[in-house]
Amino acid sequence: MSKFVRETYTVDGVKTVVHSAGSGEPVVFFHGAGTIDGFDFAEPWTERYRVIAPYHPGFGESGDDPTFTDLHDYVMHYLELFDTLRLDRFNLVGLSLGGYLAAKFASEHGHRVKKLALIAPAGMIDAMHPMLDLLAVPGEQVPELLVSDFEVLKKRLPEKPDIDFMADRYREATTVARLLWEHPGDPKFMRYLHRIKMPTLIVWGDEDKVIPVQQSETWRKFIPNADIKIFKGAGHLVHLEKREAVDAVARFLVG
Amino acid sequence: MSGALRFNSMHFMPYIYLPDNHKDYKSLWVSFPNKYFDPEKGHELYNRYLSELVMADRLGFDAIVVNEHHNTVYSMMATPNLIAAALVPQIKNARICVWGTPPNFMLPNRLAEEYAILDVMSKGRLEIALPLGTGMEYWSNPVNPATAREKFKESLKIMLQAWTEDGPTTHYGSFYTYRFLNPWPRPYQKPHPPCYVVGTGSPETIEIAAELGFGYASVFVTQQRARELNETLRQRAAHYGHTLRPDQLPLLTFVYVAETQERAEQEYIVHLQRFFEDYARTTPQYLAPPGYLSVDQLKMRAAMADKMHGGFDFQAISKSFFIAVGTPDKVANQIGEWSQWMKTNHINCVTHVADMPHWKHVKNLTLFAEEVMPRLRSRVQPALRAAAE
Repeated sequence: MSKFVRETYTVDGVKTVVHSAGSGEPVVFFHGAGTIDGFDFAEPWTERYRVIAPYHPGFGESGDDPTFTDLHDYVMHYLELFDTLRLDRFNLVGLSLGGYLAAKFASEHGHRVKKLALIAPAGMIDAMHPMLDLLAVPGEQVPELLVSDFEVLKKRLPEKPDIDFMADRYREATTVARLLWEHPGDPKFMRYLHRIKMPTLIVWGDEDKVIPVQQSETWRKFIPNADIKIFKGAGHLVHLEKREAVDAVARFLVG
Repeated sequence: MSGALRFNSMHFMPYIYLPDNHKDYKSLWVSFPNKYFDPEKGHELYNRYLSELVMADRLGFDAIVVNEHHNTVYSMMATPNLIAAALVPQIKNARICVWGTPPNFMLPNRLAEEYAILDVMSKGRLEIALPLGTGMEYWSNPVNPATAREKFKESLKIMLQAWTEDGPTTHYGSFYTYRFLNPWPRPYQKPHPPCYVVGTGSPETIEIAAELGFGYASVFVTQQRARELNETLRQRAAHYGHTLRPDQLPLLTFVYVAETQERAEQEYIVHLQRFFEDYARTTPQYLAPPGYLSVDQLKMRAAMADKMHGGFDFQAISKSFFIAVGTPDKVANQIGEWSQWMKTNHINCVTHVADMPHWKHVKNLTLFAEEVMPRLRSRVQPALRAAAE
């Protein structure tokens, strides 16, 4: 039984579902481009923190807004939601696409982010270690690319081909396509990363098949004070594969 | 139903020299390696195919049809306006249908210009289809499938404005800004060449055609579905105040004519099978890039695809799609019945498929023109015999 409580808000006309649990200082979690990983992995954080995990528009349980065509629309969406939730200053954790969004948010609104944790974040243009273009990968091949140990993910996938599951992924891919089809990388994003001054942790699995772990060093060039933690034997969804990675984020937040 | 029947000869111009290992590839589209294209063979094929379309004109077909696809053996017409331009001086009577370049893959003013050039050069014999483009084309062109329909609508608006309003005009849209929309030349036909929207039944696309009063050419849908789509289109067009003429709803049919039924099947089926199994072979991913379909459409099509598993079965496929194969009597009767049932007088005949050799296509065109058309036409035009080499 999940600890998380589900609440629905209307943010600028968009249905926005927020899962939250725990009490204490707020920790906002931005999920990645697929929502099959759920939020339960974050339960350890709820022992000391109030964890707030919204579904982005166009993903999971939140509604669609086809007018969202770049990541900045999501930044604006969250400014609205955080006003509604009366969240002035908080810790921010982002995974993959959510890491890209979290870093963008932190570079633009640094005064609101107490600490920033990025788990295998997307968004970096790194010609030497490019991110795999998941939009070009056939859907059925994606799950095994997300993890090092497929068993970890298997229980979250349908046993047989399932049209509803496929349609959910198609919808999320559509949302991603709106943002990234023509320009998977935005050089302007990196240009302003130096504005991230708050304590920052970067977490990666050393067997990440989607975004190479070597990108962690590239991030360090832009955010020199960032602490980097690499977990051996974990893939892109390091937070599902390694409880230690989840704990490392908790220790960083306390620290 | 008013008006004489009209017959098109539609060509895909496939690249027929598939490598022996082509079955190793799940798709002969998008990612099928282009190292397998041999320009010497391509040269020979272009010449051959152009001659076949010219022959269709000489034989008395009312129109010839070319179309656009990318990154595939299915069609060598990546830019069909070039093909049409090569045909204009050679095609004496038939209308020239470019069905067509997806406006999303060109600057709309430039596409409007190219079509106007063809229309003026051919003295008003151009017809145009405006496809969204298959899903496969969105993997091959740098255009976002998730915003394809919005962009498509805006492109159409610009093209129509370019053709129908005296320039210079302006356009300030979401995708394009024109400070001086003033293309030269303007079309020969007024207000513009006949336009069709091409589709496989997405309600969104039907709505676009209905609103503009354009024709609608359904492709690769079952007979039943094609009829439903025509009906929906008539209703939706009426909603916008347009009454569609029968010729605005072309019926796409595969045809092959021979002396006997057995001979027709023996000569044809192997090519039709290769058309479906090889030339049209692609993956669900390529068919539906993200956002190309609404989620509802995706679910519907996935459910349909689940039902359509199994190998090629000519009898089954001829029952569900428009495929007329046999003697002149049989083909004429089928087309006659279908045209009544579909309430159309516009028969768009796919006369060549897959690796059908030249002699069979010549035979098919000739028998269709000389034996089938006269049986169907209210006014019989003496068909000119082609100088088949």
